[in-house]
Amino acid sequence: MGRIALELLLRRIILAIPILICVSALIFILLRLVPADPVAMSLPPGSSQADYEAMKQALGLDRSIPEQYWIWISSLLRGDFGTSVFFRRPVIDLVATALPATVELVVFSLIVGTLLGIGGGMLMFAWRGTIGEQVLDLGTTAIMAVPEFLWAILLILFLGVAVPLLPFIGRLDPSVSLPPSVTGFLLLDSIMTGRPDVLGSALTHMVLPVIALSIGLAPLIMRVLRSSLIETIMEDYITQARLRGISERQIILHHALKNAALPTISLIGVQGGFMFGGTVLVEMIFAYPGLGNLMVDAVRNHDLPVVQVVGLVYCVLVLAINAIVDVIYLAANPKLRMA
Amino acid sequence: MTPHGRQALERCLHSPRILVGGIILILIVIASLGAPIFAPHDPQEQDLINTLLPPMWQAGGDPSYPLGTDGLGRCILSRLLYGGRVALYVAALSSLGAMLLGTVLALLAGYFRGPVDWLISRIVEIWMAFPPVILTLLLLLALGAGVNKVVLAIVLIDWTRFCRVIRSDVMVVARKDYVAAARLVGFSHVRTLLREVLPAVAPLVLTMLSLEAGIAVVVEAIMSFVGLSVEPDVPAWGVMLADARSTMNQAPFGVVVPVLAIFLTILSFNLLGDGLRRALDPRLVTSRGRA
Repeated sequence: MGRIALELLLRRIILAIPILICVSALIFILLRLVPADPVAMSLPPGSSQADYEAMKQALGLDRSIPEQYWIWISSLLRGDFGTSVFFRRPVIDLVATALPATVELVVFSLIVGTLLGIGGGMLMFAWRGTIGEQVLDLGTTAIMAVPEFLWAILLILFLGVAVPLLPFIGRLDPSVSLPPSVTGFLLLDSIMTGRPDVLGSALTHMVLPVIALSIGLAPLIMRVLRSSLIETIMEDYITQARLRGISERQIILHHALKNAALPTISLIGVQGGFMFGGTVLVEMIFAYPGLGNLMVDAVRNHDLPVVQVVGLVYCVLVLAINAIVDVIYLAANPKLRMA
Repeated sequence: MTPHGRQALERCLHSPRILVGGIILILIVIASLGAPIFAPHDPQEQDLINTLLPPMWQAGGDPSYPLGTDGLGRCILSRLLYGGRVALYVAALSSLGAMLLGTVLALLAGYFRGPVDWLISRIVEIWMAFPPVILTLLLLLALGAGVNKVVLAIVLIDWTRFCRVIRSDVMVVARKDYVAAARLVGFSHVRTLLREVLPAVAPLVLTMLSLEAGIAVVVEAIMSFVGLSVEPDVPAWGVMLADARSTMNQAPFGVVVPVLAIFLTILSFNLLGDGLRRALDPRLVTSRGRA
């Protein structure tokens, strides 16, 4: 089992390489079309024409496009991610502080959304054919018509402004000092350095963004789970289990749920990729210092070195989450495990 | 109309989803197209004495501003009506464009298979590695901001949604005997595709078109919210949201109005799409018939 999973993961990584090469080329070509002069933006005010030419050469912009692409890729591979034009800091530093914030947000939202979805899906299944199912169905249709960034705004309006229950700006209270960075993941760091005040503040700051991100995932999982439970319950082996006198509860928990898990897992994989996209606006609205905020700022400031790296990081995240879900799918699927 | 078509139409007219979604959508279309008639004010007209007025039914409201005013004293109702035009314009153009591009490529990939399918599938795979929001931001950075650029960006990104789903349906249909028969009778590839394959996948295309229109409304709202869509002098729902967000503490109602408008528009497209899928999908129709 472990060996097969490892092989699958390895194969996914190898398959991801050509995709990443194409993705990076696409990002690179798109950004060459930007109507902005990266040379002029990198120069201090009052520079001469000679400074301009020197900077152009230093940035490699006097070469052909394929050569420039090669320079970018080979420096990426050497670990040189470039320097932000706007912040005047290495891009790698900016990404290193922003990435863990976004990953924390997505992991929590996936867990919360999945739990809500599984609970709701089982409720819908249990209530099948009743008025309760109709109400849940209508409710999920309405919830799905509100995109995450509107949830973010509504949550701030109701739970931040109207009834000030929860904080909605940033990742920590301004009064809480940052713990020393061990992993970059604030939650882990606060536990490892024994700072419950940081942990508490960080968790309360995450509540609203996590709700905004997970609330759209739950109805999708509910529906897939409900329909696959209904399909599974028709199978012969379930009828046999019933004949053996196993309780309905046992049947659902031990037999039906196991089979219904597969389509649910692959749905989470697809939606997990989309959720990284959803964080962009949610982070911006909550002023949460993650990759999304970095990306929006960089796009607004025409900070191309940041845009190209952050764009690529997002693609790596999507491919990674797809690969992880594939392995989980394998682990949960007895048919594939035999092969 | 063929008897089959009439049956399908009848099923559509009896679907509560299609009826409710359709009615909401028609009301939104009338309100937006009639904006010059219904709007009490010019959407850009500033009344700096009457800023942040509450809606007329609340204390301090002014009947000449039925939904109140924003931070610059602009009429929220007028901006709402005119903003609907931007949303519907983007929804219609971009969903049609994405449908056209995605369906054509799906037909080619699913019907001819081989290297054509390989190439198109690889492109879809690369596109799918991007979260759509990120690719939209990259495209708008490259193309420059503007509402027509948003339409173009949505077409260039969301054709993959159509292509992925329709391609697999085309593959199933293209294997059917009647398609082979059409070829044997001497139909050209183009004629077979248009007369035999396309009608079989048309219900799916129509369903996806409706859902895509809802997605386009969201993307336009997001992009005008971050300032990459409409010109500053054009009212759009995303712009209204961004403006109202800065005055949310004093005038929370200004946020609720565009949120409701976006919600109702997406809801109508989703209900339509969901209803069409249930009414037109032959697999669902027969399985429901059996049950």
